Amino acid sequence: MEMAIDTPSPSPSASSAAAGRQTRAAESVRLEHQLLRVPLEALKSTVRTNHRLAEKEIAAVLSSASAAAAAPGGGGGGGSGEAAAVDHLTSLVSRLHGLKRKMEEGVRAEELQVQRCRARLNRLASASSGDDAEWEELRLKRILVDYMLRMSYYDTAAKLAETSGIQVLFEQNQWDSLVDQFKQEFCKLYGMTLEPLLNIYMQAGLTALKTPFCFDGNCPKEDPLSLPGFRKLAEPLPFSKQHHSKLVCYITKELMDTENPPLVFPNGYVYSTKALDEMAKKNGGKVTCPRTGDVCNYTDLVKAYIS
Amino acid sequence: MELDSLREAFDRVIEKRASSSAKAQEVIDQIVSEVEQAITKMQMMNTDSMGSADHSSVLAELKAKLNELAPLNQLEGCQKELNVALSKYLKLLEKSFSPDISKAYRNVDFEASTINSIIANHFYRQGVFDLGDSFVRECGESDGAHLKLQFQEMYSILEAMQVRNLQPALSWAAKNHDQLLQNGSMLELKLHQLQFVEILTKGSRDEALKYARTHLVPFASLHKAEIQKLMACLLWADRLDQSPYAEFMSSTHWEKLAEELTHQFCSLLGQSSESPLGVAVSAGFQGLPTLLKLTTVMAAKKQEWQAMKQLPVPIDIGPEFQYHSVFVCPVLREQSSDENPPMLMPCGHVVSKQSIMKLSKSSSRPFKCPYCPSEAVASQCKQLHF
Repeated sequence: MEMAIDTPSPSPSASSAAAGRQTRAAESVRLEHQLLRVPLEALKSTVRTNHRLAEKEIAAVLSSASAAAAAPGGGGGGGSGEAAAVDHLTSLVSRLHGLKRKMEEGVRAEELQVQRCRARLNRLASASSGDDAEWEELRLKRILVDYMLRMSYYDTAAKLAETSGIQVLFEQNQWDSLVDQFKQEFCKLYGMTLEPLLNIYMQAGLTALKTPFCFDGNCPKEDPLSLPGFRKLAEPLPFSKQHHSKLVCYITKELMDTENPPLVFPNGYVYSTKALDEMAKKNGGKVTCPRTGDVCNYTDLVKAYIS
Repeated sequence: MELDSLREAFDRVIEKRASSSAKAQEVIDQIVSEVEQAITKMQMMNTDSMGSADHSSVLAELKAKLNELAPLNQLEGCQKELNVALSKYLKLLEKSFSPDISKAYRNVDFEASTINSIIANHFYRQGVFDLGDSFVRECGESDGAHLKLQFQEMYSILEAMQVRNLQPALSWAAKNHDQLLQNGSMLELKLHQLQFVEILTKGSRDEALKYARTHLVPFASLHKAEIQKLMACLLWADRLDQSPYAEFMSSTHWEKLAEELTHQFCSLLGQSSESPLGVAVSAGFQGLPTLLKLTTVMAAKKQEWQAMKQLPVPIDIGPEFQYHSVFVCPVLREQSSDENPPMLMPCGHVVSKQSIMKLSKSSSRPFKCPYCPSEAVASQCKQLHF
């Protein structure tokens, strides 16, 4: 262990940090089931509707045509019967033309939905690479839109979707039907969760962040759990757990690890090498403990080995 | 991630959907053409004034031809292929993604009014004030609104900085001089420094000197080295870009200072510089996959998920979410606490107080460090504060 500290090797650790980030990104993408499932359900339903329409109309035309054939003498003889038969067939042709027009509309709807499914697949592929900052921003906005729709804050939901280029995911022309889906509480049917996504992710995040230290008086402000609202939400959630020490420098807030090992003041207070190095350089080799005001020489500090 | 195979499966769907709709059009066209042929035949008969017996034979022939076409079977066949492709894709989707991300959700009171205040706050702190207002109007929760004015001030300062106007920033820093000093922030000096360089590069050395005398001198005793460098800049007034101090002109100073101002402004408001909502949600995205796996494992072991006080396993979230030092004793594998604090042995290794008590048989005898050959006695061990 001491060997590892004496010979710092920044490159493997840096690349493992990047690998960790990428694994986490790929794992997070797996959560986006709803993002792919919802448009797929819409596509399936359009396909089904179009198919049923074609089936029904064609069956009707077929039975109408065979009924005409079965009629005695094609209409009871005489010229008027013949004319009626022609009229009848002509009406079938125009019915078929009508069907064709409707089918073309249906096909356009299917094509739009296919594009949407495809676009989302592509978006997720880029998101799983781990360095898609735009994705993270979009993700939060998407969750907020989902929340507001479920809470029926439709105006703000529409405004947020409009201003944030979120249309890639919630196309404008699909907006009304989306609102309807939420209104009719068809969530499960469309592959959506019952709880707002925001609540699900907030609970998971607060559980991951919750430690006994968060409820200390000197919890750093950067921790969401330093704020009363977040503390209230986290109250019924379990604490997270650590199997290994993770030490954060009080001064720089950076992780103290083998590259930035912890140094101990004679009074037992611990800070990162980076912070104390810099302090010593500025103050002629003297360092001051910011929490107690104790001053000592940099050379009096000892290294702590944390496994 | 199996995104490539998902894309392939979806390509099948695209292909089958296209051929299915092409087929439907084709089938309709075929029927139309048969019926039209029948009509033509009948019309020819009419002009030839043939008997109506032939007329029925045309209709019978049409019926036979349509039967032979079997349009419904043709449609059905194509639709079946499309459905197969769709269900294959769906199956793959269910396999590759977590189909139910609410599995790890605890059925607890997650108060909407608290969440709404957090969201309103989020919009204001991000500087999207109209969204914040609209949200507050719709949810009827005005709790988050009290920070609106403060954030408006912050954004007006930042906007001014974007057009290189430091005045609002400087007057804010002057107003909060003592608190900034308390935070150990050099923001005020850095702002004056930037203003000084700005005056100098715009041309007037006298003006810059005058500015330095009034605004930089008060900082001279604490930040001698910085001030000396700035004074040296005066010698290079009209060619600062060729001087050893050219770095002062870099536009990154502006960006960095805007960042620091945001940070300090939020800190004085008692707020974090990143949106806490954004932080919590990002942590959720990173933590949820582990939580979902955990619920599955625990359900299989019939363990209670809803009431547990602490997770049984760690969640791997990025180092950016580490706000607190957590020491886990490598001997006892337990998190340290006030009762069981971390202790430094003379060799430099750290274990918990309880471990030392055990190793030294309640401080009665020397013991060997569990990690190296050196010996220690309990009284030589020092409590650490992280």
